[in-house]
Amino acid sequence: MKTLSLLFTAALAAAMLFACSNKKQDPVTDPAANTPPPAAQAAPATTDDDAAKQDSIEAARLEAQRARAEALMNQLMSDDIYFDFDRSELTEKAKEVLAEVGDILNKEPRFVVTVEGHTDERGTEDYNMTLGANRATKVKDYLVAYGIAADRLQTVSYGEENPKAAGHTEADYKENRRANFKVHIK
Amino acid sequence: MKSLLLLLLFSVSSLWAAIDTIAVDVGISVYKTMPIGVIPFTESGIDDSKIQEKPHETVSRDFSLSGRFDVVPSPRFDLVKFSRARAKFYVTGKLENTASGKWKLSCFLYASQTKALVLGESYTVDASNVRAAVHLFTDKVIHELWGVRGVASTELAWVSKIGGVKQIVAADYDGFNRKQLTSDSTISMMPVWGLGNRDIIYVSFRNGRGQLFRKNLLTRKDTRLFPAFPQTFSPVVNPVSGELLFSSITDGKADLFIGNMDTGKAKRVSFIRASQTSPAWSPRASEILFTSDRGGSPQVFVMGKDGSDVRRLTFMGRYNEQAAWSPDGDRIAYTSMDNGKMNIYTCAIDGSDIVQLTSGAGNNERPTWSPDGMLIAFASDRSGSYQIYIMRKDGSNVTRITNGGENTSPSWSWYPEDTNHTTSKESTK
Repeated sequence: MKTLSLLFTAALAAAMLFACSNKKQDPVTDPAANTPPPAAQAAPATTDDDAAKQDSIEAARLEAQRARAEALMNQLMSDDIYFDFDRSELTEKAKEVLAEVGDILNKEPRFVVTVEGHTDERGTEDYNMTLGANRATKVKDYLVAYGIAADRLQTVSYGEENPKAAGHTEADYKENRRANFKVHIK
Repeated sequence: MKSLLLLLLFSVSSLWAAIDTIAVDVGISVYKTMPIGVIPFTESGIDDSKIQEKPHETVSRDFSLSGRFDVVPSPRFDLVKFSRARAKFYVTGKLENTASGKWKLSCFLYASQTKALVLGESYTVDASNVRAAVHLFTDKVIHELWGVRGVASTELAWVSKIGGVKQIVAADYDGFNRKQLTSDSTISMMPVWGLGNRDIIYVSFRNGRGQLFRKNLLTRKDTRLFPAFPQTFSPVVNPVSGELLFSSITDGKADLFIGNMDTGKAKRVSFIRASQTSPAWSPRASEILFTSDRGGSPQVFVMGKDGSDVRRLTFMGRYNEQAAWSPDGDRIAYTSMDNGKMNIYTCAIDGSDIVQLTSGAGNNERPTWSPDGMLIAFASDRSGSYQIYIMRKDGSNVTRITNGGENTSPSWSWYPEDTNHTTSKESTK
């Protein structure tokens, strides 16, 4: 896992360099990065709005680059934190994953994170909203204790509304009792 | 472009969506019901393809759902049949086409023995409003024979999964004339009715946060409520002042707030270290029910509207939630979970006299009272998918009012305000 995440970090850094030096779009990375190639590029640059066109090209390029970096970072932090039934305490396994997440965030200070807390479908919608909030907050608190600035971490509870597994078995419930990360560039 | 697309989606999906069929489970009730005869209405010049449902079918369902009547159907007046069934009264009427193209619906309540007219009403309506007119007549009959106001003209809002996304819908209380109120790509949930049934307050994740919104039902305009709060849910409207009581999460803990939806000002009313959620008002808005997990598991508590005098209400079981105070003030309905299954219970307002209303039929949750306190609507997955059901307050007469898809989180409307409705009518009493 550790080596894997280092590999990802390396990949991320490489991708950023690549993005800086090359305007070519990579369709695999992220659909959001797939902005249509600016038609203006082909047109003869003779008029007054040439500068504006250049600006919009540059903006599109930056936006694509940003989307790509975000997509990579989200992939890097796609490991979920799992919880026991009706509990919000962090398990040892959860703490291991969070330590890696903390390392990644320490290395990438440009990124801010939304921690999303979820529950399985058992119980009421209302109480599960509070349970999801508890879980997200436990994750946030751990990362703050790990040295991540609190203002880089937001929490939101989805309660039982956003299950990862659609079934109704114990295995599905286990998948759904989780916190996950959404990463954005500041 | 995005807003244009949303607008387009909205206009397509806000068409009236017709449902559905009905499944009835007639339990044994401790409440006395009144037998009543129902005879098919006579028709003249009616285009059958335009009629949603025959008037005697609508009135029969209204009588059954009301929890107050046993319908004695008869193809024609039959004194022997009505006498045997102890139906002292019967209902019939006629539906005629008029020169204006509108339909005239006449409804009559007669005494069986004498065939004397007890109550007569007539309504001139469009074909699409025949059911609404029948509902009005049903409530007249209930007022005449029971001396109370019926709920046949009330509505229900709930959450329906449409195209994989939870949306807010509203319909007549019997599940007919369903209309879709939200058409978002993100989750909408927990609808409740604003006073006067003029708007629906609900939770939307459209900003990625889970916040309260208010939708005006006339203009369909959405307003974000209490934007200063990061995450808000569990809305419930003060039955006297119209203020909103809700849960808000800060630092992983849910607290209760009362706020004015127009000014956006809100003040905290819970001062406990644990989380509190699922608030509900007493009928006169003097007290608040809520759930707290201060003891490690969710239990129902009651307190004054200023947060004073907190008492625990439920002691049986580990998981008691979603309390709702009956409009009569004498009972509290709630959801309890045991062995991973949820069921609906009621208890007296001091927590004693616990009665289990549902059992052995899947999960049953989120009880909501009819405004007359006679009925409880709830969501159950007993059929394999979540659907909305109505039962008497003693758990009998369980009737499914939705069909297909997934339907949860019912919320019963207030009584409609007295207006002339869309019908013109004259009383012939």
